[in-house]
Amino acid sequence: MDDNSTTMARVHSHVEMGSLEQRSVLEFEDESLVSPVSVAAKAHSNNAALRRSISAARLDDFGTKFTSNSVLDSIKIVVFSTKINLLMPFGPLAILVHKLSGHHGWVFFLSLVGIIPLAERLGYATEQLAFFTGATVGGLLNATFGNATELIISIYALKTGMIRVVQQSLLGSILSNMLLVLGCAFFSGGIVFTNKEQVFNKAAAVVNSGLLLMAVMGLLFPATLHFTHTEVHFGKSELALSRFSSCVMLVAYAAYLFFQLKSQKILYVPVNEGESQPEGSTDDEEAPEISKWEAIVWLSILTAWISVLSEYLVDAIEGASDALKMPIAFISVILLPIVGNAAEHASAIMFAMKDKLDISLGVAIGSSTQIAMFGIPFCVVVGWIMGRPMDLNFQLFETATLFITVLVVAFLLQDGTSNYFKGLMLILCYLIVAASFFVHIDPASVGELNPSEPVK
Amino acid sequence: MDYGSQMNGIQSHIEMEVLDQRSTHDFEEESLISPERDPQKTHSLCASQSGGSQVCSINTLRNGVFMSIKIVIFTTKLNLLMPFGPLAILVHKFTGHRGWVFFFCLLGIAPLAERLGYATEQLAFYTGATVGGLLNATFGNATELIISIYAMKRGMIRVVQQSLLGSILSNMLLVLGCAFFSGGIVFYEKEQVFDKANAGVNSGLLLMAVMGLLFPAVLHFTHTEVHFGKSELALSRFSSCVMLLAYAAYLFFQLKSVRPNEEGSQIEESSDDDEVPEISKWESIIWLSILTCWISVLSEYLVGTIEGASTDWKIPVSFISVILLPIVGNAAEHASAIMFAMKDKLDISLGVAIGSSTQISMFGIPICVVIGWMMGRPMDLNFQLFETATLFITVLVVAFLLQEGTSNYFKGLMLILCYLIVAASFFVHEDPASVGEKQPQP
Repeated sequence: MDDNSTTMARVHSHVEMGSLEQRSVLEFEDESLVSPVSVAAKAHSNNAALRRSISAARLDDFGTKFTSNSVLDSIKIVVFSTKINLLMPFGPLAILVHKLSGHHGWVFFLSLVGIIPLAERLGYATEQLAFFTGATVGGLLNATFGNATELIISIYALKTGMIRVVQQSLLGSILSNMLLVLGCAFFSGGIVFTNKEQVFNKAAAVVNSGLLLMAVMGLLFPATLHFTHTEVHFGKSELALSRFSSCVMLVAYAAYLFFQLKSQKILYVPVNEGESQPEGSTDDEEAPEISKWEAIVWLSILTAWISVLSEYLVDAIEGASDALKMPIAFISVILLPIVGNAAEHASAIMFAMKDKLDISLGVAIGSSTQIAMFGIPFCVVVGWIMGRPMDLNFQLFETATLFITVLVVAFLLQDGTSNYFKGLMLILCYLIVAASFFVHIDPASVGELNPSEPVK
Repeated sequence: MDYGSQMNGIQSHIEMEVLDQRSTHDFEEESLISPERDPQKTHSLCASQSGGSQVCSINTLRNGVFMSIKIVIFTTKLNLLMPFGPLAILVHKFTGHRGWVFFFCLLGIAPLAERLGYATEQLAFYTGATVGGLLNATFGNATELIISIYAMKRGMIRVVQQSLLGSILSNMLLVLGCAFFSGGIVFYEKEQVFDKANAGVNSGLLLMAVMGLLFPAVLHFTHTEVHFGKSELALSRFSSCVMLLAYAAYLFFQLKSVRPNEEGSQIEESSDDDEVPEISKWESIIWLSILTCWISVLSEYLVGTIEGASTDWKIPVSFISVILLPIVGNAAEHASAIMFAMKDKLDISLGVAIGSSTQISMFGIPICVVIGWMMGRPMDLNFQLFETATLFITVLVVAFLLQEGTSNYFKGLMLILCYLIVAASFFVHEDPASVGEKQPQP
């Protein structure tokens, strides 16, 4: 067992190289898995070779099974290796507070803080699983689970009928990724590399911008149709239109994934870690740390845990809004996403400071695209199945916000360079957006279960 | 006079290093004070003088004053319009026909604005690149700001918003379009190029300004504010501070990353005069103050007669604020941008036109909001939907046209025609009765 941990420790290095050797090496590891202890020494030398042969951008099918860790080791790796997991006790604490006092503000805050480490670990587990499933399924995994936290929170809110919260939290996630995360990445990268201008792959950024604009189009039509009262059947037409548009957007997103995987060689060779790569490929090593089944088990455990906390979170939103004297819009659009994106935020900044702007961009803009073209339509479809009237009509203010933000970001990204001023501009734009939502409430005509009286 | 010929000699275009300038203007300073000396002697004299001896007799001082007036007032043809200023005041006192007063004030302000730009530019020679840039950044649109402050004092918030908006539109469409067009006509064969990066940064800032204006407007329009009317005012004030911060960062960023072509954009206001300062530092400051006072006086009459002029001429106040006022305020920049384009110095033209737009949108508008805040006026960033939409689409069109870094006469023509459409739109635009505090009811 101890050998296992030393083996594990060895593999903690950054490796960027070709991939053919890997395959042979891993198959070797495959054999040796049955008798882990005896092979520890061999594993050392293998890992040395491994180190020289792993490519950063090509994690093709490994077809590998890793050493099964014991439960304790697994827990040690997953739960105790990151500092952010210090926040984990907040989760159970939130449930305690809810049972004992029922003070919504505190329950909300504690749930929020408790979800942060779980979201990060979920990203980690997804990334680990992606090692075992090969590029294709790995990419799909990332595409689906990349924003699992937001989706879980949204589904719970849908169940409770809080459609506006769903719309606003998804919107806020897009805005925070595009403005705050990207801005911080550009800013910190620009500060570290003051002399030169950092560059990134224009083609990928442009494709993402195009998809975001398409998402805006998908959102704009139902909103405008409803707002101008020019629907055939008032209220019902735009719901049907929303559902249809959602299916179209999901098809577009599937095509995008297909396109990315196929043309990975042509367009994305200069280190684009977009969808085909674990989105949160953090400063961990490129070799899996836990076995496939462990990854799946952890994935389920974390998802279950996040679901539990999400339920408390969503139930406490309205109470928190009253207690904290903030509009629900502000909580949904600004606070929820900051928490859901905390891990991506940190990793994007870190990669920018290492001059790996393409990875930062993949994390930030890729996540926005994912939510816009997958997350939102998916929620509409789920709502359809549940019988909830979730639609793409995000109301005029939110739609206008998304529109201008996508334009600003698309424009800033189009020349393929970055500097600290662009980052600062994006952050200041986010400040303006946040301030706008701080003074924003839905009119009484909108919202089913949202409070309509103004919050002082 | 010998001195006069000396000045003529220097009127030719000299574009050389800043270092030469500094030494050159040291001896000019001397020669201004004792003009009757032989200019040739002055050259050699200053080689040995360290710039400290000020030989002043009353005679030479008076001559100095005359010389200064001659340089500042009598050297440009535009200054033929100067008498219109006092004429406006006369007409106001005698007849009170507001239409004519307004018209004369407009004409009278045009040369003053130009001279103000000139004085700022002269002062910038003495203060170095950094403070010079800041000077240009602040005084570049001093005329618009002065007019806006007077309008705010009278509570004509919509006039302020519309005149600032009109200034942005006229810079982005009319001035830029004319520059591109004339440059394209003169350089028919080749396509003129300009620095894409700088244009991109400016376009980004303009988009950010549109964002700053969009949120209060949409918030108010959709009635989704927490406190109707008050929230968006608070939001406007917050956004204005953020925009001022962004503009300060922009200035800092520009000064820090001075590249070869940044020098060109820093001397953007250097009009068809030479690169050598013509008047001394104190003269610049004095002229700056005199011109500012004069402009303030005329602005007061101007703003006071807007509504009357609108009724007399049967033109909406919107049109006057958005189209007529800025054309006058920008007349000088207009001329210089065209001139630089025709000399294939498109970067300078761009700096004048787009730089001015960025300045007004990221500095002028927020500073007016802040000043209104201090004055207790409800000046906000809610420019009402029509104006905001106009700005939005204009910024998009211009950002798109600028993004590839080339220019030709067709792009220029397109921009001018767009401006025509905008002007026509405002000709038939008035605010609904629910908006505006002191708008006239036609």
